[in-house]
Amino acid sequence: MKARTRQIAIERTTLVVILALYMIPVLWLVSTAYKPPREIFSSPPSFSFSPTLFNFERIFQLFDVWQLLKSSIVMSLGTTVLSLLLGVPAGYALARSKSRYAIVVAYFFLAIRTVPIIATLIPFYLMMRDIGLLGTWWAVILINTTLNCAFVTWMMFSYFRALPRDMEEAALTDGCTLWGAFYRVALPTVVPGIIASALFCIMFSWNDFLTPMFLTNSDTKPLSVALLASFGTKDITWGTLGALAHFSTVPIVLMALFLNRYFVQGLTKGVH
Amino acid sequence: MATTSVGSIDFPQRKASGLRFTDRRKLFLVALALPAVVYVVLVALWPLAQGIWYSFFDYNLLRGGGRRTFVGLANYAELWTDSTARRALINTFAFTFAAVALEFIFGLCLALLLWRESRFNRICLAFLLIPVTITPVVVGLIFRALLAVDYGFFGYYLAEWGISGPRGFLASTTSALPVVILIDVWEWTPLVALILLAGLKSLPGDILEAASADGATALQRFRLVVLPLLLPTVFLALVLRVMDAFRVFDIIFVTTGGGPGDATNSLMVYGVKQGLQFFNIGFASAIGNVTILCIALLCAVFTLLIRRADVRANEQ
Repeated sequence: MKARTRQIAIERTTLVVILALYMIPVLWLVSTAYKPPREIFSSPPSFSFSPTLFNFERIFQLFDVWQLLKSSIVMSLGTTVLSLLLGVPAGYALARSKSRYAIVVAYFFLAIRTVPIIATLIPFYLMMRDIGLLGTWWAVILINTTLNCAFVTWMMFSYFRALPRDMEEAALTDGCTLWGAFYRVALPTVVPGIIASALFCIMFSWNDFLTPMFLTNSDTKPLSVALLASFGTKDITWGTLGALAHFSTVPIVLMALFLNRYFVQGLTKGVH
Repeated sequence: MATTSVGSIDFPQRKASGLRFTDRRKLFLVALALPAVVYVVLVALWPLAQGIWYSFFDYNLLRGGGRRTFVGLANYAELWTDSTARRALINTFAFTFAAVALEFIFGLCLALLLWRESRFNRICLAFLLIPVTITPVVVGLIFRALLAVDYGFFGYYLAEWGISGPRGFLASTTSALPVVILIDVWEWTPLVALILLAGLKSLPGDILEAASADGATALQRFRLVVLPLLLPTVFLALVLRVMDAFRVFDIIFVTTGGGPGDATNSLMVYGVKQGLQFFNIGFASAIGNVTILCIALLCAVFTLLIRRADVRANEQ
């Protein structure tokens, strides 16, 4: 028994060290936001500082923070809703179809997820330029929905496939319509899968940086782009950057922490 | 169930449609799948096909009024003759292999550490979700700031004690790539650990108990029992990470921008620069297509390797 407790103690110490490796950079970022500019740039770096909200006041002077937040929210919710509307029924259909092409189509969706965005982004950019959607939220929503809807389809495919058909069959013989069997019988049982899908879609598009960098303009850019675009202008210090990063990371981190059960579920179901 | 018997009402309608039930069901399923298929074909496959088409042309929006001249495979040849592109290709492979190998080793250790069911481990697990969910741009910026030589938390002392050069790790051609790889390892090891942990937790408990009852040592148990059963999960984690690591963009773009020189240039960074900053559409499309090919190739190789490992494990 003694050996066992010692082993646990060693395990936990290792974990604490690893956790520290993760928390130090994050805490450093958080703390810069509350440091006055002079103390961030103190050389050598100082550890103690007098907390201030100066950086938060600054970012509201420098950026239209609400507009950036709105862009991020609109684009991630737009992508998520569209991806779920397209992907959930498709996943159901592929899981329930007896055709041998169904699995081919399912793998097609999986393959789409592996396509590097650079291969589609350039032609898509020209396309959006030609139809006048360049610089709008729609351009980002449209292209991100391809990857995310492929992701949702595959994820829901694996959820629905794991679901026994019996209940739907019973409902159908009871006279339920086909739509009813899908919407009222099958769908409520895969709600965890839908939550996990939505969580991942929101995270992917909220954190996305490459597509909005080229497809949005200064009025429609999201937080992730503003973070880097702001960088390099002389008014920006690491402190204001840290303050702005609060807005771009806190919502997603909180969401993942509260819904971490679904998050882990999605990781294992949706990606294979 | 909300489906009370409405059969007597529904049945006549079913007859009236003039189709057999199995056919109606097929149609219904096709109708459900069709929007997603059409969407992906239009918005993903169509641009993809256009990209392949463009890659055979000398097509630059900023030069010659955006005229297209057919050049055959010249853009692909340039990928090999252009030293920057070649470097980007090599860097991307080096980045992918090094990052994924380290992430797998560390991830596996982390997963094994967290395997025991306890409150402490659950709390650790929750914290490890943070790096996975933080915006990659922010991760890049954090490390860029931490490694800055004049005021960075680490960078200052690393330079002061002569561990890094006077201009820091990210500004040196020899250390920039390893540092960027380590940043990627920092960000994605928890993800690998989470996937492997989920695999570990789904292992049948009786087999593990039987193995320890047989007097197998921890190492034997791991090598002969746990690892073979874990292979599908390992495969999943590796493929997922290889795909993503090969497409690396955010971290490199934010920390070094591909520099110094070409030291950290990757295919994605170079492709984006060529395509969307210099508007060299033809060449950039070729880079994009080569990236797809490489990813497909890597996935195929992994599938073959894992299948062979699976067969060998079953033989034992």
